[in-house]
Amino acid sequence: MFFHIVLERNMQLHPRFFGRNLRENLVSKLMKDVEGTCSGRHGFVVAITGIESVGKGLIRDGTAFVTFPVKYQCVVFRPFKGEILEAVVTLVNKMGFFAEAGPVQIFVSKHLIPDDMEFQAGDMPNYTTSDGSVKIQKECEVRLKIIGTRVDATEIFCVGTIKDDFLGVINDPAAAA
Amino acid sequence: MAHHHSESDDEDYSYDDDSESEQEEEEEEEPRSSRKKRGRSNPDHSVGSARGKKRKPSGSIFIEDDVIVDDDEVEDEDDVEDGFIEHGEADLGDEDVVGRRHRPFHEPAAFRSRVGAEEYLDFMQEKYSNPRAEYDDEDDYEDGEPTHVDQQALLPSVRDPKLWMVKCAIGREREVAVCLMQKAVDRGSDFKIRSVIALDHLQNFIYIEADMEAHVKEAIKGMRNIFANHKILLVPIREMADVLSVKSKTVELARDTWVRMKLGIYKGDLAQVVDVDDVRRRVTVKLIPRIDLQLLADKQEGSVIVKKKSFVPPPRFMNVDEARELHIRVERRRDRMTGDYFENIGGLLFKDGFLYKKVSTKSISTQNVTPTFDELERFKKSNENGEIDFVDMSTLFANRKKGHFMKGDEVIVVKGDLKNMKGWVEKVDEENVLIRSEMKGLNNPLAVNERELCKYFEPGNHVKVVSGTHKEATGMVVKVDQHVLFILTDTTKQHIRVFADHVVKSAEVTNGVTKMGEYELHDLVLLSNLSFGVIIKLDSEAIQVLKGIPGRTELAIVKHGEIKYKIDKRINVKDRNKNVITVKDVVRVTEGPSKGKQGPVMHIYKGVLFLHDRHNVEHAGFVCVKCSSCVLSGGSYSGADRIVDSFSRLGNSKSPAPVPPSPRRFQRADSGYNSGAGGRHWSGRGGGRGGHDLLVGAYVKVRLGPFKGYRGRIVEVKEKTVRLEHEAKIVTGKLNLPLHTHLVAAC
Repeated sequence: MFFHIVLERNMQLHPRFFGRNLRENLVSKLMKDVEGTCSGRHGFVVAITGIESVGKGLIRDGTAFVTFPVKYQCVVFRPFKGEILEAVVTLVNKMGFFAEAGPVQIFVSKHLIPDDMEFQAGDMPNYTTSDGSVKIQKECEVRLKIIGTRVDATEIFCVGTIKDDFLGVINDPAAAA
Repeated sequence: MAHHHSESDDEDYSYDDDSESEQEEEEEEEPRSSRKKRGRSNPDHSVGSARGKKRKPSGSIFIEDDVIVDDDEVEDEDDVEDGFIEHGEADLGDEDVVGRRHRPFHEPAAFRSRVGAEEYLDFMQEKYSNPRAEYDDEDDYEDGEPTHVDQQALLPSVRDPKLWMVKCAIGREREVAVCLMQKAVDRGSDFKIRSVIALDHLQNFIYIEADMEAHVKEAIKGMRNIFANHKILLVPIREMADVLSVKSKTVELARDTWVRMKLGIYKGDLAQVVDVDDVRRRVTVKLIPRIDLQLLADKQEGSVIVKKKSFVPPPRFMNVDEARELHIRVERRRDRMTGDYFENIGGLLFKDGFLYKKVSTKSISTQNVTPTFDELERFKKSNENGEIDFVDMSTLFANRKKGHFMKGDEVIVVKGDLKNMKGWVEKVDEENVLIRSEMKGLNNPLAVNERELCKYFEPGNHVKVVSGTHKEATGMVVKVDQHVLFILTDTTKQHIRVFADHVVKSAEVTNGVTKMGEYELHDLVLLSNLSFGVIIKLDSEAIQVLKGIPGRTELAIVKHGEIKYKIDKRINVKDRNKNVITVKDVVRVTEGPSKGKQGPVMHIYKGVLFLHDRHNVEHAGFVCVKCSSCVLSGGSYSGADRIVDSFSRLGNSKSPAPVPPSPRRFQRADSGYNSGAGGRHWSGRGGGRGGHDLLVGAYVKVRLGPFKGYRGRIVEVKEKTVRLEHEAKIVTGKLNLPLHTHLVAAC
């Protein structure tokens, strides 16, 4: 789920960036540092929307770097257990399939795919029902439920299921085409 | 009445006088012969009666020393008897207490008739009103249990029968003991030996307890399995107690237990016990046969000389029809014991495809036998019976080591009335586990037997495997199937099946086994057949290696012995556009089956690159390509890949264009800036100026000279000298040394 929160970070800046453009440099550095990263607690930082405040800089002893505490607003994305998401299938193999919902990758294991869907290897590996009505292959959109998340220091990985009601393929561009 | 009593007493008395001796003898013999038999054999008159006559019908009638007579006491009777009477009651009581524990009251009826009602009552009162009762468990140690001193008193002395060691046929010790026992029953009085002991752990010998060697010799006369011509050894008194001390635990072999074979072609194979023969120490086990039908057929025809089997045939169920086709003689026999039909092929018994073999107890191992899933499945397969599933599981759990529940574990009841009830473990006792459940109406905590419980996990739990083949693997539970869990491992994204008992809830995320022996995960290694590859998976059994064949993904599963050594060379290669690639550079594949993949280079060897693509889920993300089919994709991965401003890119580029020194300074500062708190990862390679870009950037250690032992990164290379940036100080030392001999590449 997406959240808009305020985070704080201590940015270190080299004196070469001091001067007129100090604040701009600081902001651009912040963006480069933070956007696209993921923390276990907040999830993926998608984008910084604004700077709330920049505190007073403190010169570090021994080096010439200066530390600024910066408070900023950003949009984060964090998946939760039990959440229902739409995702795009990226890889299908005999263990299950991988789908991506934004920055997070979700794995749906074979055991959590309805039993009537069988894996079919081939040029485009896919999962199909016995009557061929529903097909899960690459670039499909599926609705899935997250049953567990594992949070590393820098990554979040989820395991999902489509074995419940109202879950499964929403839209299959390949089939439609 | 009393008078009458006394008369009867007298009568009894006198009566008892005579019978007492007889009784006495019997009772004397009793303890001894009880070891052999509880017989009514005629005791040794000469000895017994002699003793008996000396007995005085005094207050000793109240004393049970007949019954509790121990070996040493009997011998010293004449002296001790008086001693008994002279001593005060307290001591006697003591002795009694001790004695009673050792030798329970054998013949209450006889005693009663002997003594007479009143005396009997008195005696009973005395016995049971004793405040220092032996039945009271809360007594002090000295009263409650036989003390060390009491035990010492029971040790054999010189006047006790001696222990003789006799040699017999190997494997026949028990048989001999039983034979001697039978002989004693038959012969009765002639038999002068007291007992025979056959120990499990001592082969070839039995112990005979007797007074004289002549007795022993006579007893063993005519016994086929005893080597009479061998010397009969006497066991010293000090060692007599040790003979009977048991050190090892006897393992009980029951039917349907799982064992593993220790010897022969079936070594290491799982087997199930079908029948146990204790006397001969043999068990019948059920195995998956490893039969080479062709060889059998040839053998039967007599055409092939049976040579020593150089290879072990794979386990396969025996198909009788197949055997018949090859003209092997198959006999259908009925086993007398069980009544089942067996197929006899070449002397081996088969049924339902399994091989039933009789082996000695020594050649199977019963400890720590945990069958793996595959083995279990194979055993079940031929039966096709769904019920066996549960039976097997329960036998497995019988063997499982106890006490693996911890406080806080979530458990579910699997057997009994409370089946399917979930709860949390509060306390673990030896057999019972106290659980707390959420159900209202149940008194918490509940005591449940350990065997009825099973750990409970829900899909989505993050767990860690703590025992079994997948030890140290972490992952997420995907599916729960009674005792079996399907887990998706974190590292390899594969499904593994484990028992719920082997797993604990954990937030830990490990790479599984990362180090096995000297090899770590993701190491580049050289295999025995001169091919090389990257380790992508480490197991307790085998190592999975992605081979270094560009274009094809070839996996090899090898054992530790097949790996020669780790390859750890610093090599640079050139990519498609003649850019220099080193380890940790990000490259992109432009042609071939892995086209489009991108990632940092982990290893380089013989023109082949191994890069690690995070999005690739196969083979731990490793891709093997030729260096000519990829391009450098800017930015080194060593800690600074996110910052793509001009400075770092300049500094990190590998183009050999001459770069003025100042950016180098900047770039070095830059890398400090870039990595921030990252430490001293100097991402700069100083550009590729001058020749020898091979060495520039390499982390080396000096071998000779005044700077020996120093480690540092090479900053600049001239013809003969190398400028080394030393770790501790940023002072560069000039080393006037021929390069190759004095620098050792360190990692």
